[in-house]
Amino acid sequence: MSAVLRVPSMLGIGLVWLYRMTFGAVFPTTCKYHPSCSEYAVQALRRHGLVRGSVLAGWRLLRCNPWSRGGFDPVR
Amino acid sequence: MIVYAIPIISQLEDVMRHVLNWFHYNVGLTWAWSIVAVTVVVRMLLVPLTIKQIHSMQNLQRFAPQMKEIQKKYKNDRQKQNEELMKFYRENNVNPAASCLPMLLQLPVFISLYYTLKHYNWPAGADLSWLNFIHDISAGTTAQWGGYILLVVYVASQMASSFFMMTTVDKTQRILFMVMPLFFVFIIARFPAGLVLYWVTTNLWTVGQGLVTRRLVARTPAPVPERRSSRTPPKDEGSSGNGAVSEPPSPKPAPSASSQPRQVRRKKKRTSRR
Repeated sequence: MSAVLRVPSMLGIGLVWLYRMTFGAVFPTTCKYHPSCSEYAVQALRRHGLVRGSVLAGWRLLRCNPWSRGGFDPVR
Repeated sequence: MIVYAIPIISQLEDVMRHVLNWFHYNVGLTWAWSIVAVTVVVRMLLVPLTIKQIHSMQNLQRFAPQMKEIQKKYKNDRQKQNEELMKFYRENNVNPAASCLPMLLQLPVFISLYYTLKHYNWPAGADLSWLNFIHDISAGTTAQWGGYILLVVYVASQMASSFFMMTTVDKTQRILFMVMPLFFVFIIARFPAGLVLYWVTTNLWTVGQGLVTRRLVARTPAPVPERRSSRTPPKDEGSSGNGAVSEPPSPKPAPSASSQPRQVRRKKKRTSRR
């Protein structure tokens, strides 16, 4: 991906980092998945761009609920 | 501010203002106690989400020896150890970790409270104090002497709640979790005191919940194997796609005799897969 095309996903990654530095830092939670949801979001944004990456990250967050089984779940 | 440009935030702020108003004017609580009440209500709403986790923790107890084995096997490679543990959890349908969604559901509450405290036009002469040592919940925490006490309480409550939320057995990670609040306190010091009050309350709730959970887990050591066995096998097969990339951690049958037939079957399956 060229640098220009990478800008939107970089924005998304920036938001994830903002979350990590603020709320995520103060409410440390151990995610039931590996990689953790925020790490997954960064990887998904990097690999699939802003739109698809956001959808994937959102879907993962919904899956990270008390009824799911968790476990090893990398970005594909 | 960029964040405020998002329309949903102003709507969230409206909702929070209405809720606080309701607690203040209808229930008769002071503004500070209204924040505590909001926090308690939010946590009460989240209780059903934590019940499932309690069951999972009960289940987890009998897998402790296998988990320790995995930790020992991969003690030099933390990444691999994490992956293997996660696979093990998945295969055995247990997971000690909290999930992100319930925690994230608190985010809108937190943001709306932050903006409400910043923007609310408090009625003239409003009592914004709390327990005589916080004079103004809408002012910065460190702008008042009582704020420092609140910060100390925050650090203690955060450490205690981290202790209960922590599921890792890794010593370094445990220490890190416990020390982290000492760093967060510098971020939090700039927030309005009311927000720190929210934090302290939610932390204390977590501690209370943790204590109850522990008691429940200790009281019921043996999980019900029938329920697990009836629904795990098909799911296991479905998940074996990504779960079987590397060698499975070869869990030994659990000591409970009732689950033996199923464990044998699982073992067979795994060997045939290799």
